[in-house]
Amino acid sequence: MSKVIVVTSGKGGVGKTTSSAAISAGLASRGHRTVVIDFDVGLRNLDMIMGCERRVVFDFINVIQGDAKLNQALIRDRRLDNLYVLPTSQTRDKDALTQEGVEKVLNELREEFDYIICDSPAGIERGAQLAMYYADEAVVVTNPEVSSVRDSDRMLGLLSSKTARAERGEEDQIKSHLLLTRFDPKRSGDGEMMSVEDVLEILAIPLLGVIPESPAVLRASNVGVPVILNEKSRAATAYEEAVARLDGEDLPMKIEGEKVPGLMSRLFGRSA
Amino acid sequence: MQTDVASGNIDGVGTTLKPFQFRGRFLTALALRLSTAPDARFYEMLADRLEKTPNFFTDAPVIIDLEQSQAAVTPEALTELVADLRRRELAVFGLQGGDEALRAAAAGLGLISVTGGRDAPLRGALPSSEQKRPQRVFQQERPPMPEAQPAPAPEPEPAPIPQRVAPENKIVTMPVRSGQTVIADKGDLTVVGPVSSGAELFAAGNIHVYGRMRGRAFAGIDGDENARIFCQSLDAELLAIAGLYRTSDSLGADVRHKMVQIYLEDERLIVAPFG
Ligand SMILES: Nc1ncnc2c1ncn2[C@@H]1O[C@H](COP(=O)(O)OP(=O)(O)OP(=O)(O)O)[C@@H](O)[C@H]1O
Ligand SMILES: [Mg+2]
Repeated sequence: MSKVIVVTSGKGGVGKTTSSAAISAGLASRGHRTVVIDFDVGLRNLDMIMGCERRVVFDFINVIQGDAKLNQALIRDRRLDNLYVLPTSQTRDKDALTQEGVEKVLNELREEFDYIICDSPAGIERGAQLAMYYADEAVVVTNPEVSSVRDSDRMLGLLSSKTARAERGEEDQIKSHLLLTRFDPKRSGDGEMMSVEDVLEILAIPLLGVIPESPAVLRASNVGVPVILNEKSRAATAYEEAVARLDGEDLPMKIEGEKVPGLMSRLFGRSA
Repeated sequence: MQTDVASGNIDGVGTTLKPFQFRGRFLTALALRLSTAPDARFYEMLADRLEKTPNFFTDAPVIIDLEQSQAAVTPEALTELVADLRRRELAVFGLQGGDEALRAAAAGLGLISVTGGRDAPLRGALPSSEQKRPQRVFQQERPPMPEAQPAPAPEPEPAPIPQRVAPENKIVTMPVRSGQTVIADKGDLTVVGPVSSGAELFAAGNIHVYGRMRGRAFAGIDGDENARIFCQSLDAELLAIAGLYRTSDSLGADVRHKMVQIYLEDERLIVAPFG
């Protein structure tokens, strides 16, 4: 059964696109047919991070507007043959996305793929709401700082009210996972940034992983390779483990500079 | 809330389908009671009050109550006030009080003239100092609004108008997140779960929060000064009962993260830890 997973945050620049690329590459490496969609119409960062920006002919918007077929717009990754990118347009604006269009494309993709990863734009406007609307699960990307946590909380509110699953009032609501990124154990230890426990206490959703602040992330994006597929790094390992958990594996959490306290272990097992 | 007060069933048998019937209709509205003519300061305070809880006021049916201020308010001032409220998406529909000139101006603005009605608090509240709070709940009992509806077979006897309305309590068992608003406009509100900073709770009655309370809570929104707020772990941004409020910086360390109740005593908001 295919799963639509939105990668969202509210706040901008926290690592959604980096995480979307890493997660989709990680899932594909684990053998799943995976596609990652860029919902950030007008900016187009995902294809750069995935290293396929020179191969874009048709995009998501062309497909929605009926100017191209879905398989004309899908770009197959050079490294993993079960990984595809659906890039977005840089010249259109976000109004080019329609709910019916998004639904149609997602339904078509569900026929072909195990995982459909939606890289959401920042903010809580239309673009972000369309990216989450048809999701089955959500990865809420958060940095350990107050404004980012507040925005993530806001997104969790929207996920539980402004999505197809919420509106249908189904038993199985969207499953939300927390992905804490750009975590710096030293600054968190100094109290300069929030601790993992503080963030979990406020957001109260299961923790998928903690990605350390790492120069390997920027190096990978400069060469257009998802972190997970580039050099061996602590960030790559942390993403690999997060992907394994997203894929249903039960891995113990080890976080640099933090003892795993009672609250956290309680939250790991909990469903959202 | 709807009760039959009159039936369109003339022959009393009810074997034929009637094209209409008159039904009594209760309607809860906000009454904006003015104690003086609206001036710049009035508009400033009004804007302030409305912005605090925008969701609560959007499309709210409103009547303007000039019973205490009709001498001071001119038809022009009334026209300006109605335009201002409508710009803010309040559904102003009626005028209470006012002299002939004011009523004529109101009619020109599409307002109906209402008389009677009863102000909240409904639930055993103390007699209260009205002027301090402009918003009261208003119960319109007359005139009945017509409503088209196919009639079922024999009409029951016209029911008596109930004296008071049973509370409708609300329970929320999910976290209330930043940016969300939960309203129990006819009773108590109970939240089983955390309430985030930036979330808002409103209740006509009491508010209970079983979980960390970091948001804003407004109990007794219709003016019930006996309403209370109960928190399992207090870390609120704002607490208010019947319009009297305290913000987080006025809450001492002795009550923070404690299990507390909040109530009004002599027009003061008391935050008292349990045990
Ligand atoms: N773990 C990390 N360590 C160091 N730098 C990081 C890390 N994660 C992300 N970054 C950097 O942060 C910046 C923003 O990342 P990214 O583009 O993934 O965020 P985004 O949430 O998609 O932003 P937007 O809201 O603009 O779409 C990039 O320069 C990226 O290299
Ligand atoms: Mg991005």
